Amino acid sequence: MNLGTIAELDCPVKQLDSCAPLQISIGNVSLDLFIREEALLAPALRRYREFAQNSENGFPILLNQRKMRVGSGEFSYLLDDAKLLLGPRGAEFHGVRHEYALDSLLRILLTMVLLPRRGFLLHGATIVRDGRAYIFFGRSGAGKSTVASLSPEGSVLTDEISLVRHSNGCWQAHGTPFWGEFRAAGINRLFPIAGLYLLKQAKDDRAEPLSLKEALRALLPCVLFFTAEKRAHETLLHTLMGLIEKIPCYRLHFRRNAEFWKVIAA
Amino acid sequence: MKGHIVRNPKLAWREVDGEMVIISPEDSQVHELNETASLIWKHAESESVEELAKRISAEYDVSLEAARADIGELVAALEQKQLVFVATEVKG
Repeated sequence: MNLGTIAELDCPVKQLDSCAPLQISIGNVSLDLFIREEALLAPALRRYREFAQNSENGFPILLNQRKMRVGSGEFSYLLDDAKLLLGPRGAEFHGVRHEYALDSLLRILLTMVLLPRRGFLLHGATIVRDGRAYIFFGRSGAGKSTVASLSPEGSVLTDEISLVRHSNGCWQAHGTPFWGEFRAAGINRLFPIAGLYLLKQAKDDRAEPLSLKEALRALLPCVLFFTAEKRAHETLLHTLMGLIEKIPCYRLHFRRNAEFWKVIAA
Repeated sequence: MKGHIVRNPKLAWREVDGEMVIISPEDSQVHELNETASLIWKHAESESVEELAKRISAEYDVSLEAARADIGELVAALEQKQLVFVATEVKG
């Protein structure tokens, strides 16, 4: 879908809704969450506290409200009993019963909003070292949480879902509130990406450089993506190629201990 | 084999180092083509099968018959994966 830039968005929703939005920013995307139910608002305030940020033009998201207010949806997604409707002027989440459903729908929404902004979410842990971000990616069980647990406190931007985005002329990793085993609040900071590492548990520690084709093949199954639209996939391919043409990608053979840092390019 | 090879219009694809990586958006299936199949994919919609055979014959220094046979095999495999179909020419 073709969303305008945040600044161009016309947000009539705000005037229609009497509750004050919870304003957050994830990956430099400003979002206004309109949550009426206290049972959802309190955990949302806790979960996204590190990402709270006031903004004039946040992308409006209406939770569990009866009337369709964002116009006809250009994208919709059903997740168990919860539903996401996304239009050019905002989004609606329906059937959200708990904070986990809210979190899941937010991830799905972000994949769509980031796409035209050369950004995406990746199943990966992001660790910061000497001011640069190292992304360790892989499917479930690959060792993302292990890598995070072996890293110094405060150096982990996320142990589960990395946010990659091209901005200010370079590829950057942003902190996200989407965590796995750590259950932390996240860190809302961004760092230039030093390298991408596909995790492979092995009996030795070594970083094997991947060709462009291998890197693309490695990344594709680890990108969070929820649309079957051809143009969206073309945009994703374009974004991923732009990333791997600039940032080196490796298959990291590692023994599930902190020794792997020794083989990572300095 | 006669006619034109047509790429499945539903697919997203990208050339990487001279080879094609193709995604089927409906099921997120990723396909990789080898060098020869990538060449066929790249020129499929601008050249007839016979023109492709001549290209492959020249590029890989094989006989025209061998190139035709290669194309037949590769296209059958691509058709099976629903990546392409063959549009035969209808004579009026």
